[in-house]
Amino acid sequence: MTDPYRLLGVPARLHETTAQDAADYDEVIRQAYLAAIRACPPERDRQRFEQVRAAYEAIANARARLGHDLFDAAAPTPEDLLAALQADFQPQLPSAQRLRRVLGGKA
Amino acid sequence: MSRKAKDKPGKSPPQALDIPALVARAEADLALAHYKEATELYKELIKRERRPLWVDGLAACYAGRAHALADKGMLKEALTLWRNRQQLCGKPLFEGPYLAWLIQAGEQVEAVRMLADLSLPGTVRAELETRLAGILLDWPDDTPLALPAESPLLSHRAAALGALRASQLGDWVGMNESLAAIPFRSPYRDLKPLLKTLALLATDRSAAADAIARLPSNSPFPRLAVVLQAAILPDTRWLGKLSELDADSRQLLLDLKGCPDALRPLLLDLARLGEKPHPETWFDYLLRHRRQLPAGLAESFCQRLLPHAESRLQAYTDAFGRLPQVRHMHLAALTVEMRGKRAPALSFWERMAESLSNDPTQKLRAALIWRRLSGIDIAALSDEDHLADSIDYLQRSVELDPDQRETQLRLISALRGQGELQQARGALERALPRFPKDAGLLLEAVQVALAGKAFKKAAGLAKQVLELDPINPSVRQLIGHALFSHARKLIKADNFESARKELSAAAEWLRAAEDISTLNLLRALTSDDPADVGIRDAVAALGGGLAGAFHLALEAGRVGRNVNALLLRGGVNLKAAADAGAVVALARVVEATREPEKALRAALLPLRPLLKRAVAGRYAEADLSVICEAWLRAKENELLRHYAQVALKHWPQRPIFVYFKAASYAGNLYQMPMQLQDQLERAAEESHASNDRHTYQRIQSLFAALDADLSWPEDGADFIDPLDPGDPGAAFEMLLRMGGEETLFKMARQAMGNAAFDLLRKQMGGNDKNFARALIELMKDEMRGIGMPPQPAKPQPVKPPLAPAPRKPASDIQRDLFDD
Repeated sequence: MTDPYRLLGVPARLHETTAQDAADYDEVIRQAYLAAIRACPPERDRQRFEQVRAAYEAIANARARLGHDLFDAAAPTPEDLLAALQADFQPQLPSAQRLRRVLGGKA
Repeated sequence: MSRKAKDKPGKSPPQALDIPALVARAEADLALAHYKEATELYKELIKRERRPLWVDGLAACYAGRAHALADKGMLKEALTLWRNRQQLCGKPLFEGPYLAWLIQAGEQVEAVRMLADLSLPGTVRAELETRLAGILLDWPDDTPLALPAESPLLSHRAAALGALRASQLGDWVGMNESLAAIPFRSPYRDLKPLLKTLALLATDRSAAADAIARLPSNSPFPRLAVVLQAAILPDTRWLGKLSELDADSRQLLLDLKGCPDALRPLLLDLARLGEKPHPETWFDYLLRHRRQLPAGLAESFCQRLLPHAESRLQAYTDAFGRLPQVRHMHLAALTVEMRGKRAPALSFWERMAESLSNDPTQKLRAALIWRRLSGIDIAALSDEDHLADSIDYLQRSVELDPDQRETQLRLISALRGQGELQQARGALERALPRFPKDAGLLLEAVQVALAGKAFKKAAGLAKQVLELDPINPSVRQLIGHALFSHARKLIKADNFESARKELSAAAEWLRAAEDISTLNLLRALTSDDPADVGIRDAVAALGGGLAGAFHLALEAGRVGRNVNALLLRGGVNLKAAADAGAVVALARVVEATREPEKALRAALLPLRPLLKRAVAGRYAEADLSVICEAWLRAKENELLRHYAQVALKHWPQRPIFVYFKAASYAGNLYQMPMQLQDQLERAAEESHASNDRHTYQRIQSLFAALDADLSWPEDGADFIDPLDPGDPGAAFEMLLRMGGEETLFKMARQAMGNAAFDLLRKQMGGNDKNFARALIELMKDEMRGIGMPPQPAKPQPVKPPLAPAPRKPASDIQRDLFDD
């Protein structure tokens, strides 16, 4: 995934109107980062941990966010699109009929 | 001709063979997996006599053919053969893979009917029941189940269906109760880990993963297991599994993820694209599905893809309209930058920053662009202009975003590096009120003060740094060195009393052994001890020998003392022979000394004769490498050539020594002999072949410098024409700059004759610089007087000039890349 906002699970925001807004948003990102590294410590998944850290560094403060927006040339990936769509998904329990069809029948 | 006759010419039909011949051919064909032929032969044998061995042979033929067909996916045909095997050979149906093929072929009714066969052995029945558990759960309600009443498939089915219904409702308590009613030997037993995984999926993925890990590999519910395993994958990784699933399983996975029905075709299409689709394919996908995607998403993704899928610009415009001008420039800058086209990228960024600078809401963006441009991006364009441009960009950035400390620091540092101390001080004055307690900025202020030789001010500032950062080792050294510098200034003015005070102050700050030795040497220089014991002790402490002598000579230059006299006072014997170890030690000190080359060369000057003699010593290859590096660093070209030559005698063609020898022509590269240039080319090839990248790069840099040095036009007229015809000396000035004094002397000698040349040179008292100036004046006069311009000497070899890469206007590139 190339989008640091999606990787940290925070909404992308580039135009904080006041310094306080920016500071508040910095804190939101920091908390998301801490949660992400708690969920995925380096000893469990080094690659993922590095991705999370790089994502945090890319958007940790207002200047970093603007810099990322200006200079990041990475192409968005299908994974980014799925992450964007998935944010609105409401996981649901499958119907018993669907379950029965997957349990039985021809594979 | 029939196929059979064509395939097997001369083979007799089975009916024509006797029994031994039939047996031999049947066994041979079976062994060769020629099942069809072997079947005919065994059938003929059985027709004549039904021996058990031949019946087994026929059964093996059917089994072999059935397996071969099943492997090709022809399950129905495989099942037919298996049934023939039962009918003709009396083998039980349930042997081998029959049950699995039945289920795979979708013949559930037949599979269930088998369960009614009371003759089935217990183990086979249990296996069949397990295999049929899934089928039984999906058994149509209107189709009767012809199963024995005691079959667990029947008796536990209600509990299994109850668990499924409860899970649909999220009734986990009810589900667990139903699952508890399923005994652990039941054919439905594997529903337990599966439904528990389902229950945990939304709340505890880790526990869900543990639950599904308990599912045995031969579970009768592999399809549900695969779906659940995909569903517990973190983030978006489940998408990769989507295209591997069958239609029902895909829909189940999308149910679990909560994907709306409208988005399902789009996601299936997305899964087929793979992880890294070609940018243009990916762009086309987004365009195709833009109406199903949330508002703005396709547009934003397509914009970010444009630098990678340049050819889709028109398609983008058709779908979303024209890009705003600044965004257009932005994407163009990213596009050309990604393609390594620095000059047009720079131009686009500059235009974008100019445009944003005028918008009060976009100043921060503009500042970031200017700041970025001050970095490495323009380094490759022109070294000469790079620093000046960098400073300009940094100034623009600071103007728009003065709160960015790092940019302020970079600007001050760059100004200091350029010797623009007044501007650096101005920038500091503007920056410090914003960051009054910033140790980094104060440290930079110390450096600026030191560069301006304001030693006391530097020491005062350094103390401020230390108040903020008490364990900062570099600032301690800076204070000490600042005090050293001031002390040297005082020693130079023979103000020893004040110098001693400065040195005492320096002693409070410095800890490193080398600094203490320097301190002692400076103290000794302020002492009036006629025996110079202090100087001698300090020289010994600084390594003694050549290394100590070098330190002393360096210090003599700093305090404005006569080097030879000071060396004598320090007990340095310049006439003694130096061994290899002493030369290596000196080389290491030279390498480590952070002084300008001029100071290094001045300190090495009195040692030069001694070092020339020492070239005859015995050196290891590594020693000579260290020594040559030091001479290269100090631009001691003569010594460098001597030592490189000695190294090449012992290790001929060694690339690094060829490089050192060639580098000794620095400043006069055009004088490098052709033979050495050829050697250098071979050294480049060899270093490249041996993966010695460092040497290879150094040689390439040397070639680039050589090309630049030799970039004389083929015809000298082109070179001279642009010069001012009213200034006949201009050509000689140019010749002096390009070719050096020796070239000018050579030409003058030819023009004047040896006697006149030598006489004039003698009159100049051996000062080549003055002699060169005098020659130019003389030749200018002669040209004016006689009207016969002496021909400028043409250095060898002649190569075409290297044109510097011009900065193309952005508009040209934009026409190529983004002209819509």
